[in-house]
Amino acid sequence: MIDWSAIGWMAALSAASLAGGIVGAISGLGGGIVIVPVLTIFFHIPIQQAIAISLVSIIAVSSGAGSVYVKEHITNVRAAMFLELATASGAIIGAALVSRYLNAQVLSILFGIALLASLIPIVVRFGEELPQNVQNDRLARFLKLDGSYFDKNLGREIDYKAGRVPPAMAIMFIAGVLASLLGIGAGVLKVLGLEMALRLPTRVATATSNFMIGVTAIAAAGIYMHRGNLVMPYVVAPAAIFVLLGAIIGTKIIERMSNTAIRKFFALLLGIIGVEMLIKGMSM
Amino acid sequence: MNRLNGGIGTGSSRDGASIQVQNEPTIQSAAAWVLRTGVTLSALLMLIGLTLSFMHHPINVQRMQSIFFNYHPSAILASIVAGEGRGFIDLGIMVLAFTPVMRVAASMVIFAIVDRDWFYTLVTLGVLVMTLISLFLLS
Repeated sequence: MIDWSAIGWMAALSAASLAGGIVGAISGLGGGIVIVPVLTIFFHIPIQQAIAISLVSIIAVSSGAGSVYVKEHITNVRAAMFLELATASGAIIGAALVSRYLNAQVLSILFGIALLASLIPIVVRFGEELPQNVQNDRLARFLKLDGSYFDKNLGREIDYKAGRVPPAMAIMFIAGVLASLLGIGAGVLKVLGLEMALRLPTRVATATSNFMIGVTAIAAAGIYMHRGNLVMPYVVAPAAIFVLLGAIIGTKIIERMSNTAIRKFFALLLGIIGVEMLIKGMSM
Repeated sequence: MNRLNGGIGTGSSRDGASIQVQNEPTIQSAAAWVLRTGVTLSALLMLIGLTLSFMHHPINVQRMQSIFFNYHPSAILASIVAGEGRGFIDLGIMVLAFTPVMRVAASMVIFAIVDRDWFYTLVTLGVLVMTLISLFLLS
C-alpha cells in the first residue's frame, strides 16, 4: 500500500532541498535562504521548526561540500580555524548576554541595513577576478593565512595573500552573536568578512565560509535539539540527503564559474537577505 | 631547550615556513576524510531509516510532520533494536550533528601531533571547547 500524497510531498521536499544544497555550496551560505522560506510557505511548517531543520541541513552542506573544497585545497583551513574562535565566542556571548539587552527587531533592521550597505563595496569590485594589491598584514603573516589553490576555471595555480585580520575578526564575532540570537548560520557575514576584510579570492572566501558555518550551526542546532520537539526526523532525513546531493553538484558547478560570476551570485543573495531582514524587522 | 620545544622568546627563525607547507596536506586530508565519512554514514543511516519506515508502516504527511526527534541515546538505541526506521533516522541526525565537532577535534590532533604547531593546536582547542559549551551548557 503506497500513500501517494506522502510520496509527492517527499519529492517536492527533495527538489527544494537539492536546490538549497546547490545554492548553499556555491555561495558559502549553507542554503538556509532557500530551505526556510520553502518549508514555511509551501509545507506550512512553523518557523521555529523550519529553522531547526535548516540548521541540520546547513551542517550537511558544510560537511558535504567542505569535504570536496578542503581536499582540493580551496578552503583556507587556518583562516577558518582562527576566525572560528571569534565566531564561537560571539555565539556564546550572544546567547548568554546580549539577548537581554538587544531586541530581535532592532537587530534584524540593523542587520538588513548593514547587508544592503555592504553591497556597495561588492558592486564596486564586480569586475575584479582576483584581488589586486593585497599585502599580508603582520597578524596574517604570523597566522600564516596566505595560501595558494589551483583555479580550475582559470586553469592555473593562484597564490594569494591575506589582508586586514582585525576587521575580519570583528565581523566574525558579530556573525556569531547574530547566529545565536536570530538562529541563522550568518554565512553572509562570513563571506563578507573573508572577501572584503581578508580579501581572499572569492571562491576561497565562499569555500572557507562554507567550512566555518558547520561549526556555527552546530552551536545553534544544539539549543534547538535540546528542546527536542523542534526537529522532525521525517522532514530532516529527505532534506539532509538531498541537500547533500545538491552540495556535491554545487561543488562541480562552481568549478566552471569565474570568481566574478560567484561574486555576482553572492551579491544577489546578499540583496535578497538584506531586504528580507528589513521586512522581518519592520513587521515584528 | 626552548628551540626544541618551540618555546617563547626565540626569534622568528624557528618558524620553518617550508615545514608548514609540507605538512599542510595532512591537515587538509584528515579534515576532508572526517567530513566525508560523517556525511556518508549519516546519509546511509537516514536512507535505511526511511526505507524501513515506508516498508513497515506506510506513513502519511500528517504523521511525518508530527513525529519529533529523540535525542536520548537510550531511546534511539531501543528504537533501532526494535527495527524501527525512526531510530536509524535519529541516529543519522546525531552522526550528522557531530560531524563538524569531530572535524575540529581531528584538526586539533593533527596540528598537535603531526604539525607540532602549538599555536594552532590552542586555537582549535579553544574552538572545540567553545562549541561544546554552546552545545551542552547554554541550552
